[in-house]
Amino acid sequence: MPESEPRLIRGYLQVLAAQLPGPIVEELTDGLTETYRSYRTRGLPADAAAEAAVEEFGSAQEILAGFARVNPARQAARRLLGLGPVVGGCWVAALVTSRVWPGPEPARVVLGLVLIACIGLTFVAALGRRYRVAVYSGIAGCAGFAALDASLIVGTLLVAGRASGLTALAIAVSSARIALCARAAVAAQQNT
Amino acid sequence: MRAEELKGHLDAVLLAALEGGPRHGYAVIEALRQSTDGRLDLPTGTIYPALRRLEQAGLIAGTWSVVGGRRRREYRLTPAGIRALSGRRAAWRDFSATVTAALESATRVNTALENAALEDTACPSPNPA
Repeated sequence: MPESEPRLIRGYLQVLAAQLPGPIVEELTDGLTETYRSYRTRGLPADAAAEAAVEEFGSAQEILAGFARVNPARQAARRLLGLGPVVGGCWVAALVTSRVWPGPEPARVVLGLVLIACIGLTFVAALGRRYRVAVYSGIAGCAGFAALDASLIVGTLLVAGRASGLTALAIAVSSARIALCARAAVAAQQNT
Repeated sequence: MRAEELKGHLDAVLLAALEGGPRHGYAVIEALRQSTDGRLDLPTGTIYPALRRLEQAGLIAGTWSVVGGRRRREYRLTPAGIRALSGRRAAWRDFSATVTAALESATRVNTALENAALEDTACPSPNPA
């Protein structure tokens, strides 16, 4: 929006720009500018046209909440949370039945801490109402889960030498989650 | 009509607004106002997340252009969007016909009951005593 246009509109767009990615803000700027111009064309003075345009557009909070609901990072985080118990269940069954524990105990403690951190980050992305926070925590959660899965796969194969039965199933499910994490992280990155 | 009353039908309404050809967000709102004689009163800003959702679902596709020095995103229906709109239209006609039949049937029953009550008042039954 040009500098000559009212401060009310610039302030409104700044609130949106602080939360939303650039392309979305550009689209909203175009829409708000068109709304403002339509009021100017109908003969309203600049300030009154700006007030009417902002009122017609809806509150910034309403728009931010609308975009938070369609945030790809939020949707990917919800899929990851749904998949988590499946992957966890497969690994618990595989490790308990094969009695193969990947890596020494300190490494397993680190894996446990990473898992807790990933779950926390994914919850923030899945439930968060702030667009950028959801994107960044979603990307971090995806990276963490992918690293965790890769460590489990490599650690198990190094210790056991081969994978069969439930271990093979757990490796397959973890590989699928790595692919999902990679796609979700790329989609989320495109929305920053 | 307010946004909350449209809940569940917003996607179909937006798809219908794009049926005539590609439009940007504000043009979609204008098209809806014109097609409903101004009865559809949506906060303009709320349709942008809805357009984004339809794009993620593959029902519409967005492209950027530059108009008056500003970047503008225009949306058009995809083949999946055309099929979805056709399905939503058929479902709406079915739903609308069902609810209309139920409401008008209730009106007819009420009118018949009121007429019967009026007749009873006008011609009271003879006193058995």
